Amino acid sequence: MNATAETVIEARGLVKDFGRTRALDGLDLSVAPGEVHGFLGPNGAGKSTTLRILLGLIRPTAGTVRVFGIDPWTDPVAVHRDVAYVPGDVSLWPNLSGGEVIDLLTGLRGGGDEKLRRSLIEEFEFDPRKKARNYSKGNRQKVALIAAFARPARLYLLDEPSAGLDPVMDAVFRRQIERVSRDGATVLLSSHILSEVEQLCDRMTIIRSGTAVETGTLGELRHLRRTHFRVTGLADPSRLAALPGAHAVTVSDAAVEFDADPRDLGAVLAGIAEPGISSLSVAPPSLESLFLRHYSSSDGNSNDRKSRVGKNSAAANSSSGRTDSEVN
Amino acid sequence: MAGMLRLVLFQARQDRVTLPVWILGITLLSFATSTAVATQFGDEESQAAILTLAASNPAFLFLRGLPDGTGVGAVVFFQGYAFTAVLAGLMSTFLVVRHTRSDEELGRDELLGAVPLPRAASLAATLVLGTAANLLLAVFVAAGFVAAGLPAGGAFAAGSAVGTVGVFFTGVAALAAQVLPTGRGANGAAAGLVGAAYLVRGVGDALGTPSADLLHVASAWPSLLSPIGWGQRARPFTSPDLAVLLVLLAAAAALGTLALLVRRRRDVGASLLRQRNGREHAGVGGRSFVGLAWRLQRSAVVGWCVGAAAIGAVAGALGPLVSETVSSVAPIRDLIARLVPGGQAGLVDVFVTALLGIAGVFAATAGIQAVLRMRAEETEGRAELLLAAPASRARWLGANLLTAAVSAALVAATTGAAAAVGLGLSGIADGQAWSLVPAALAHVPAALVFMAAAAVAFALVPRLSIVLGWGMFAAGLVLGEFGELFGLPVWLQDASPFRHSSAMPVEPFNQGGALGLLAIAAAGAALAAYCLRRRDLTS
Repeated sequence: MNATAETVIEARGLVKDFGRTRALDGLDLSVAPGEVHGFLGPNGAGKSTTLRILLGLIRPTAGTVRVFGIDPWTDPVAVHRDVAYVPGDVSLWPNLSGGEVIDLLTGLRGGGDEKLRRSLIEEFEFDPRKKARNYSKGNRQKVALIAAFARPARLYLLDEPSAGLDPVMDAVFRRQIERVSRDGATVLLSSHILSEVEQLCDRMTIIRSGTAVETGTLGELRHLRRTHFRVTGLADPSRLAALPGAHAVTVSDAAVEFDADPRDLGAVLAGIAEPGISSLSVAPPSLESLFLRHYSSSDGNSNDRKSRVGKNSAAANSSSGRTDSEVN
Repeated sequence: MAGMLRLVLFQARQDRVTLPVWILGITLLSFATSTAVATQFGDEESQAAILTLAASNPAFLFLRGLPDGTGVGAVVFFQGYAFTAVLAGLMSTFLVVRHTRSDEELGRDELLGAVPLPRAASLAATLVLGTAANLLLAVFVAAGFVAAGLPAGGAFAAGSAVGTVGVFFTGVAALAAQVLPTGRGANGAAAGLVGAAYLVRGVGDALGTPSADLLHVASAWPSLLSPIGWGQRARPFTSPDLAVLLVLLAAAAALGTLALLVRRRRDVGASLLRQRNGREHAGVGGRSFVGLAWRLQRSAVVGWCVGAAAIGAVAGALGPLVSETVSSVAPIRDLIARLVPGGQAGLVDVFVTALLGIAGVFAATAGIQAVLRMRAEETEGRAELLLAAPASRARWLGANLLTAAVSAALVAATTGAAAAVGLGLSGIADGQAWSLVPAALAHVPAALVFMAAAAVAFALVPRLSIVLGWGMFAAGLVLGEFGELFGLPVWLQDASPFRHSSAMPVEPFNQGGALGLLAIAAAGAALAAYCLRRRDLTS
């Protein structure tokens, strides 16, 4: 699966400087054929810069990049033949109608599939006759999405594509991703929305400050994270604070919550076992906590950290950017 | 009331650079005209000469205005008023639309719509700002005249005439902003009305009746249809009559009130003329770079062609009149003979040649506009969408350059054709008239050089491309058209592409010059394509 010869996208040690700002700092990215790859990171991490390099719109300061085995800077046209792209911030020609823009963009790629175009317009509940200046952000996004999906491509580069879509349209978008993925296309989906990546992607790369900090399948990344426990009915809840392997222990009226490293699970389970327990819930590590670990404030040494992620300290933690579904 | 004042100050703050540039620019132009007239036509004899020349020449009357007696002030007003009034009109138009329809279109007006102020408060504030700006303009223009040594009374009246025209167009633009759905549309309509006011006044003045001594001309009735014509009737340096300006102020008040009434009754974002829906599918050619470039340039080209046609028609229709009048007045014939290069060339040709030269400038402007649109596409993120398609940047550049070149050729050809038609209608078409089309097209190679230069700037230093593109054009214009006047060294003058265009029909077609310009333009285009391939897309 990781064989270099077969990868659709292969980037090694990408560096990109804009003046004195370093947008990418040695990024590695590898995407295999047919995979839906999540490209996860907060705003300003370098996701859009990476996609622009993959398209040959900008040239990396250092490092190598191959898309379909071709250097996109040297031969962008050859790469673009099989690529559909949706930029993060879609800007359109104000005096062209949405339908005209869709035809322009698919036309430049060699012409769209009329049946597909019609069904996409219907599914996205899009009015193609309005002038682009009257479209909201979500509708501009739809123009780019319809144009991208209306012609089959081998690689879809999508930069935060569902940012302006409502939940219903988001579901339509997901169906399209599943459709092109079934047809064997490769998708690179940049996002800062965790649930989106969790639901859609086979593998993911997490990027922070221009460097890939983690890459792998959801399963592979899960093992890096502590399991969350919630126990009620303990006679002396406070004793768990001293239990070896239990981290971030919080005690509320009846319940105790804490996290445990996978290697300590046996010891922890033995430690909490007592007759009075009335309920026990064990949650696998969510992608969200995974994300928080990488992007919350200075977090160099996560193993020694005694941060409190329980209910009582949620308010304090929200300043580091945590919301229900996304992290900025 | 305090809320209104805040709005006015808020809008003024947004204009803190733009408005001073306009006001000081117009003031400087007035001052420069005054000093130039004072040095060139200092004594009454030369003033009388220029006035008689003008009075007997409808083209002069059309372009400049009405001669109104001798004296530096009177000559300055005759020479400069119409242009200054146009500039005041444009300043007011852009000011009003910027704060009304454009803000509304971009959704900013919605923010202000939620504060506890009447619905039309923002528009009222804009009207106040527009009036204040024109008041300031009147004072500054008057001060410029006084600084150049003109009598204070006349200077004040002249400044008032200019400022009043500006106030009138503040009202016009306010109404246009209620009628049209987009800022661009409102700007186009109001600016078009400014142009129409100038042209209608021109027609009325050209048809005017000269006095016996040829020092005064009384305009014909069409001038009364034009606010610029009304301003001219103030006759500041001859017999000041500020009462006529009250007519304009009353009209402005009526327009402003009407605009306020409409604004109070309509929804935010709505307009009297509704935004039409577009097409569901792209038309033929709407699926390529060239098609897109043309689509984006189309309306601009139409605008330039209308302007060019007006100039061409004036050149053709009035040319013969010029030669008739002039050949009947001996001193004028001598004067012209001295001014005209070669001396023996037909007067019609001289007149036509001068106006075709202006058309060359129009053509270059239309072309540069098309080239620099690429920069707007890039900064506003649309180039990214286009260049993600399997088509090279060179093709994108090529499509835009092609569109630019075609625009320039169309504008030039339109001028030539209109001149030919005008000449034909005036009765002296002898089959030669259509040669004016190639004569106008002879200005295209120089225009192409400016487009290529703008393209190189775009490819090499994108962030400066707008400034450089227009800057090089302005430099070429100054060097080519005014270099001699300023007494600049010949080699410097020759740096301007305009100097190498053939001034047909007075001069023969200069093949070498045209080929040289074409070669330079082609080299520039190739360099631009090469450099564009090697740079990052920026924003």
